[in-house]
Amino acid sequence: MKPFGDNPTNAPANGLTTGGKPDGGPTLRQRVDQCSRSAEQMWAETRGSLTDLRDAIDVKGRTNRKPYTALAAGLGLGYLLGGGLFTPLTGRIVGAGLRIGIRVALLPLLEAELVRMVETFATGAAEETSSSAG
Amino acid sequence: METTASIKRFAHDVEARVRPEIEGARKRIESAGERVTTYIKENPGKCILGAVALGYLVAKLARR
Repeated sequence: MKPFGDNPTNAPANGLTTGGKPDGGPTLRQRVDQCSRSAEQMWAETRGSLTDLRDAIDVKGRTNRKPYTALAAGLGLGYLLGGGLFTPLTGRIVGAGLRIGIRVALLPLLEAELVRMVETFATGAAEETSSSAG
Repeated sequence: METTASIKRFAHDVEARVRPEIEGARKRIESAGERVTTYIKENPGKCILGAVALGYLVAKLARR
């Protein structure tokens, strides 16, 4: 009985052999081994990359150092992922933040300016009083 | 004079009654904060995933 029809090399039609090829190519077992090695190597590399990524992000360390900041970062990330960047709510939050920031930044400047004005006024008034008395 | 003294007494009484309540509330709030912080430190992945999910939900609600 001919195992693979009229094939004179006694090989399957897909070109793979189980016992070695006449032209010296890899056998099916060798190919399977090679695939297995490649898969293992790829898995190891993927695991290494994931470990590197985890070390770089360092979720546990960051959470230990600043737990509320880490939570806020997660909240912000979820907000961005949910497509909340270009929404009226973002506009309102940014607007309120800007208003508060400008007020906080301007208050010391206004205070310094007021103090300077009062000092100038007081100095001028004192000079005027002394000149009128003399 | 009598009225002033009674007002002072009343104020002292109120302070004596309210101050421990305020102190207790402050301690309770501090304790809750510490418990929350400890929980976050013990379960960082869970908490951050929850925060991401919450942010996602808020964004979805804001888009409506």
